[in-house]
Amino acid sequence: MPRPILEIDHLTHAFFNGTGIHDICARIFPGEFILLAGPNGSGKTTLIRHLNALVRPTSGEIRLHGRSVTKDLIVTRKTIGMVFQDADTQIVADTVADEVAFGLENLNTPRARIHEKVDQTLAYMNLIHLKDRNPSTLSGGEKRRLAIAGILVMDPEIIVLDEPFANLDHPASRDLVEIICRLNREGQTIIMATHEVEEVITHASRMLIMDNQGRLVKDGPPRELLGNLEYFGIREPCFSRMGYSAPPWQT
Amino acid sequence: MADLTLFSFQAGTTVLHHLDIRVKTVLVCMLSMALFTAGFSACLACFLVVYPLMCAIGMPMYRLIIRLKGFILLLVLMAATRAVTVPGEPILSVSGIEITRQGLAQGSLVGVRFFLVMVIGLLFAATTRPAALKSAAQWFLAPVPLVPEKRAAIMISLCLKFFPLILSRAGQTADAVNARCGSFRKNPVRQIRFLTLPLLKKTVISADHLCLAMDARCYTEHRTDPAFESSGRERLFLGAGTGLCIAMAILSRSSFWMIFW
Repeated sequence: MPRPILEIDHLTHAFFNGTGIHDICARIFPGEFILLAGPNGSGKTTLIRHLNALVRPTSGEIRLHGRSVTKDLIVTRKTIGMVFQDADTQIVADTVADEVAFGLENLNTPRARIHEKVDQTLAYMNLIHLKDRNPSTLSGGEKRRLAIAGILVMDPEIIVLDEPFANLDHPASRDLVEIICRLNREGQTIIMATHEVEEVITHASRMLIMDNQGRLVKDGPPRELLGNLEYFGIREPCFSRMGYSAPPWQT
Repeated sequence: MADLTLFSFQAGTTVLHHLDIRVKTVLVCMLSMALFTAGFSACLACFLVVYPLMCAIGMPMYRLIIRLKGFILLLVLMAATRAVTVPGEPILSVSGIEITRQGLAQGSLVGVRFFLVMVIGLLFAATTRPAALKSAAQWFLAPVPLVPEKRAAIMISLCLKFFPLILSRAGQTADAVNARCGSFRKNPVRQIRFLTLPLLKKTVISADHLCLAMDARCYTEHRTDPAFESSGRERLFLGAGTGLCIAMAILSRSSFWMIFW
């Protein structure tokens, strides 16, 4: 059995109003595609912010390659790339190329290497033709791809996506699924927090379900959890609800 | 968000787009200072240089005038005020209000100067990537003691990024309030409560999210130093700009006295 990249060990984060996440334990292995599902307010965003050490837990610990994620924040944040739900507030630069370069500039990468890697990443994400565009003029799908490019350029081992399909139309969602699946096929570990699992459930290798109390209540292969999702406040995919197998575009 | 302000970068391949930002900044400062003492003939000389550049970046003057009509109206009002307040030789008298030759000349001149400064600023903004502006700010602030130039540069950059976002959010909030007849209530306290406070709250939350997003990508002040783009014609532009400023100064000295004669 391979060694886990990430170990979440009895993680608890309590907010002043009593909500939060409670006693979460999980291990993430290389190459996995993990779907972190749960209803609104179940603590998915809080949990994934802990992965990147953006917030500190009340108790418990997350270890990256056996070391606490809070020990070396640069290594943690370089290794675990995070795509936020609202692309507009994540984008900091004024051109697409500068936005992708932001992370590398923070890592003090030489300028020539930055140019090279930015071009490679933009080409990979099919954004090279928009290189000089202002990000605020991009479509929702393009902004989401830009946000992924902004972290992909830093060569992360794990990509964490928070509600990536929020405010996206169907074609943009499909494009995004295709990109995420391609990244996963190429060996990238993916953790995706979402309450809408329809688009990705058949691609994910593992599913973690959180309940309204901020507890991890299910951990297993998605196919085994299909049929019981509505019990946890997650919308059952249409094909499963109607008793069909997964549609061809998903498989 | 697609409706960007007039003063935003427009991608292009003209020489102005590739000119070193530091040279561009110096040129804008020099021309602006020269314009504040310029007479009509100096303004005309400046316009003859600026106009082809405007056309080159794809912004014809008529389009600019249409988009700046509010500002131009303000300039006309300013000129009209001067025309009736500056004492001198009257050329028209209506109901005891006298329009003087000197007032009209001074008012028009001030209007033309402001308009040209605006056009030069616009030319600068349209051909300069905000990232380059940030780099220039960092470079110019570096020799100033006790100023954290990298932090100041990133703050400038974020302000430039956030300004249109805040305007967009303000518009959305106003629309949401007006959709529920909020515009019929003129009480300023209610307007603050239902328009300003929500906008402030959204702005602070957005700023908080931005901080998290920057932290998530290892933000630090010790970043890769900015690279300055060069067109190879910096000396030519600097020389031509200096020449233009000197010519404007010479022309201004003669025309300045002509106004009063």
